Amino acid sequence: MLAYNKELLENGLLLTEAKRLFKMKFISKEHLTAVNQQLPQLQSSNIFIRFGFFLLGLFLFSSMTGFLSLFFANLISSNYEVLIYLYAIIGLVGSEVFARKSFFGHGLDDAFVLSWQGAFCAAIGVSFESTTLVFAVLFVIALFSCIRYVNTISALLSCIGLVGFFFTIITEQKVISSIYLPFIGLILAISIYIVYTKLNSNSNYFIYRNAFQLIKIFSLVLGYASVNYMVVRELSESLMGIVVTKGNDIPLAFLFYGLTFGIPLAYIYYALQKKDRTILTIGLLALGYSFFTIRFYYSLMPLETALLLAGILLFVISFFSIKKLQHKTSGITFQPDRDANSNLILNAQALIINSQISTQPVIDESKMPFGGGGFSGGGSGESF
Amino acid sequence: MEKQSEILTEQLVSKGFVTQEQHNEIKKYGQLGIFSLNTELLFFLYISVLLFTSGVGIIIYKNIDSIGHLAILAVNFIVMLACFYFSLKKAKGFSKEEVAFDNPVYDYLVLAGSILGCIFMGYMQYQYTIFGKDFGLVSLFSAAFCFVIAYYFDNKSVLSIAITALATFIGITITPKTLLANEVYSNPQLSYYGLALGAILILIMEYTIREKNKEHFHIVYATFALNLIGICSIAGLLENYWYVFIFLMAIAIYYFYKLSHQIVSTFLFVFTLLYAYVGINIFFGRLVMLVDTSEFIVMIIYLLPFYVIGSIFLFIKLIRKFNKENHAGIQ
Repeated sequence: MLAYNKELLENGLLLTEAKRLFKMKFISKEHLTAVNQQLPQLQSSNIFIRFGFFLLGLFLFSSMTGFLSLFFANLISSNYEVLIYLYAIIGLVGSEVFARKSFFGHGLDDAFVLSWQGAFCAAIGVSFESTTLVFAVLFVIALFSCIRYVNTISALLSCIGLVGFFFTIITEQKVISSIYLPFIGLILAISIYIVYTKLNSNSNYFIYRNAFQLIKIFSLVLGYASVNYMVVRELSESLMGIVVTKGNDIPLAFLFYGLTFGIPLAYIYYALQKKDRTILTIGLLALGYSFFTIRFYYSLMPLETALLLAGILLFVISFFSIKKLQHKTSGITFQPDRDANSNLILNAQALIINSQISTQPVIDESKMPFGGGGFSGGGSGESF
Repeated sequence: MEKQSEILTEQLVSKGFVTQEQHNEIKKYGQLGIFSLNTELLFFLYISVLLFTSGVGIIIYKNIDSIGHLAILAVNFIVMLACFYFSLKKAKGFSKEEVAFDNPVYDYLVLAGSILGCIFMGYMQYQYTIFGKDFGLVSLFSAAFCFVIAYYFDNKSVLSIAITALATFIGITITPKTLLANEVYSNPQLSYYGLALGAILILIMEYTIREKNKEHFHIVYATFALNLIGICSIAGLLENYWYVFIFLMAIAIYYFYKLSHQIVSTFLFVFTLLYAYVGINIFFGRLVMLVDTSEFIVMIIYLLPFYVIGSIFLFIKLIRKFNKENHAGIQ
């Protein structure tokens, strides 16, 4: 089933671990070079190069499809959807070729693995015109690609296929009432998380660990999103035609209000207990979104006051947390991790700041006639 | 993940890549159970500064003609002074080397102070036109202000605000002209200004590296210069005077290619190649349009896959060379 040599994949994992140990200054550069030279490796590339090759791969795939379309356009007069199946086959063949040539996480292979799935789903969609079927097919072929090509993003696609399938059989086929949708979402999230923990603890499946991480993130986000008040309210308005007026909220509103804040807080608490950075980040982002949700429906105070207070509150919280944690040397601490690349983060922050204060505030404001909230709306929207 | 790392480390030990001593040290570190909230808390500070300054910005402009606006403005000024006062007290003074506060909170106070300062200047210009009729001038002053602060407090975020302010200065001085002038010819002009600013940034960066004056700032300058020049030349290539930009772009790409090898930056290297590739493809597209017969275009589509495969081989070769020279595969 696996398209790559398992030993080579495991060598890749060992190299990653050795790199981590090198960054944490446990082993010397000579040791790391020894690992790199003595263990044969697949052809992988670092994240920027991978991105570049991914674009090139997509370009290659589309140029090949253009070639074929021109070639066959004269031969066939009807049944054009056959061509899309042909594209999918090209993508699949390409994926196989790259796997044979031991390209792994290189960018080119990613482009073809994703392209063939996209083309195949498009073909199914065109021939059968059923969203449910497309999602079901996506689930199966993405799972297949994830297992065979050890492709991380396919794991995410597979999860999307699964959830989309359940979503469409409820909203379109009306198997059960849409009112159960949030709970189905929650149950799916929990089941995906259980599957994740089962798979992640098995050392035979180490090579899939990035895919497992993505599945975990997906399940956590799904769990939060399916009971978030805003999501539930907007969906019930569009799917069941419930109109929310004053003194008349969606069914079980109190439950969703509670969960909108309860779940992020639970994530953060659990993450600090288990020292799990992924869950912590998702918990924090979710909490930010919860505040946004409430503000979206109930503006307790004008935007500027809210921003000001939130800024001051957040500053005070972080200031005192830093003070408290600054000199701790074990457990939860403010000391940078030995493997953390803080320079990278600071550089990123320096560059991101331009997108966050969108343009130079001076200019925006000097052109702003009266009271414009335009520029800061953008700022707050992005940070939450 | 923790458990997996342990198992992998043990495998490395059993294969003889990690010595027993090193393994003991790793185990000891693992027992401390360190969970660092460094990144998260710093990011919180960053967001809090952005929220606060956005709030201030709106409050000032909502109250622009009301009685209280002077008071609000005064508060803005005082908060700004307070930010700088506390930072100055803790600052270690200007140095050509990299200096950092003992507590990173002060970096964010400096950032808040700078943004508030920019808001203040923008408001003064709006209400009292202290910098004359030209609205663009205020960005130039903001840029100068931010440059001074960035160099004194060694703050990359403020530096990047300063560079953006410079870019807006160029943009804003052009906008009134673009309205008056024929729209077709306005954009190439903007591209020339952008290229000029990019060139200036490169000069500053070269100076920074050569004089070892805040040498670690070079990556900020290089990133801005590359993106500015890349985008401006691509915009220029789509205009009427495209042939001018071919030469300018070729020179710039050659420079950045050399630079990325010199300072060993994979990011610069990849983005230089991407811009170059986009530029070359637009150039080829332009050439094809000059010929402009449909049969020729059909032939091109047939040849396209081979062209892409050829370029992929070229890129793989270039990247191998880069990795070999800089051992980037290990880092």
